[in-house]
Amino acid sequence: MTRDELQEKILTILVQDFEFKDPKLDDNLRDDHGFDSIDAIELLSKIEIIFGFSLTREEKEKAMEIRTITDILDYLEKIQQGRGK
Amino acid sequence: MKRRVVITACSAITPIGYGKQAITDSLLHGVSGVRPLKDDGLLTDRIHSRVFGTVDYPIAYDFTRSQRKTMGPVAYYACQVAKDVLSASGLSAEYISSGRLGVAFGSTHGSPTVQRDIYRTFFQRMEEGFSSIGAVDYLRSMVHTTAVNITRMFGITGRVIASSTACTTSSQAIGFGYEMIKFGMQDAMICGGADEYDTTTVAVFDNLLACSVAYNDRPELTPRPFDRKRDGLVVGEGGGAVLLEEYEAARKRGAPILAEVIGFSCNNNGGDLILPNLDGITATLRLALADAGIAADEVDSISAHATATKMGDIIESQAIEAVYGSKPFVTGLKSYTGHCMGTCGVIELIMNLYMMEEGFLAPTLNLDEVDPRCGAVRHTPEVIRIHAGIAAVQNFAFGGVNTCLLVKNGREVIA
Repeated sequence: MTRDELQEKILTILVQDFEFKDPKLDDNLRDDHGFDSIDAIELLSKIEIIFGFSLTREEKEKAMEIRTITDILDYLEKIQQGRGK
Repeated sequence: MKRRVVITACSAITPIGYGKQAITDSLLHGVSGVRPLKDDGLLTDRIHSRVFGTVDYPIAYDFTRSQRKTMGPVAYYACQVAKDVLSASGLSAEYISSGRLGVAFGSTHGSPTVQRDIYRTFFQRMEEGFSSIGAVDYLRSMVHTTAVNITRMFGITGRVIASSTACTTSSQAIGFGYEMIKFGMQDAMICGGADEYDTTTVAVFDNLLACSVAYNDRPELTPRPFDRKRDGLVVGEGGGAVLLEEYEAARKRGAPILAEVIGFSCNNNGGDLILPNLDGITATLRLALADAGIAADEVDSISAHATATKMGDIIESQAIEAVYGSKPFVTGLKSYTGHCMGTCGVIELIMNLYMMEEGFLAPTLNLDEVDPRCGAVRHTPEVIRIHAGIAAVQNFAFGGVNTCLLVKNGREVIA
């Protein structure tokens, strides 16, 4: 998946499922949208559905460093590259 | 330290309505909330009983996503009624978060809807080669989900009691909340219970031959507590909350006093986990009178547990007769709502508060011909205009748990 495709999917999820209002790529997820650690775990399960495979424990723990939507996209690209896709 | 405890706000979502007006109208006009069992695509076809005490009207929830994310259907009921009582109370946000206010709230088994979804999701994705359970599924389904979603939503920092004793869940919650305040451990408690639409519970009781099956085509004619033609209980859903406060503080701040909780008892039959037990139930009724320090003839009305099972109603009638004789009026309010499981105690208490306030007692619905084995007590065959000074609310649960709450009419508390 290209970065643009990933961005479109993630923004759709953040707006529809997490009820983000007018999300910007460099918004702080917690401060600007009240996105907490529980939300992060929830988002990871949706990412697994997008990719069609389970994330490893290590991959999930790395996601806890994410602060912005740009960080999410960087994270997703790294996972894709790591899986050779 | 023994302090007086009063009820200063209440709210209930029930199969016969949400709020005082709707519930009171249904009680006065004999409206049943029992409906045909909805198809859940899983168990319904295997269940003989096809009736359910159903909340079949829309409720305008306005919870934010942040609040909703840890809530299953059962917590929606719980938080809505808790929100109602806190809003009606006028208590400040500062007080609510002070640690002086606690929560005693429960449900039969958390959210069975979410629990089913967990297994459905898990096994479905197993076939797809990966699986993942939602981060909040446990928070939405766990047995104390109602209590802690209430604390989370309103920033409550006091004690949490999450009773979960089937049919005595919410009556225990109220009783334990009463004791928290009575003995000075908290100054106020939000107490109650909730249970969501759940066919699993129907299947369990159906399997035990305890559910009503003879009126599947006429749901409003069942359950039939104390009636000769009763054939079992009808599972229901709903939620209810009461705000308990220490009497002097409530008076001082000018809170409306709906009733005083003057006595509570809770015991166990000490043996069989299913069969009703005359000695255990009789002891419960006597323990509540002892706790209140009143004589049996001071009680004007009894809200019986009265599930409409064959043996349960007989044993309860015998216990009432043994303790009270035939003076107080007896009514079985599950005849309107079905058996709302963990929330039945608080719903029935709230119905009693409404009836006390409006000066009437609702009859047991569908009681066309009293079973002679239940005939030694004073049944309520029609709406009676009465000033009930003291009412008893009785509930008994699987596991042999029995409770009795005694409440005094708010008008008499003020006088």
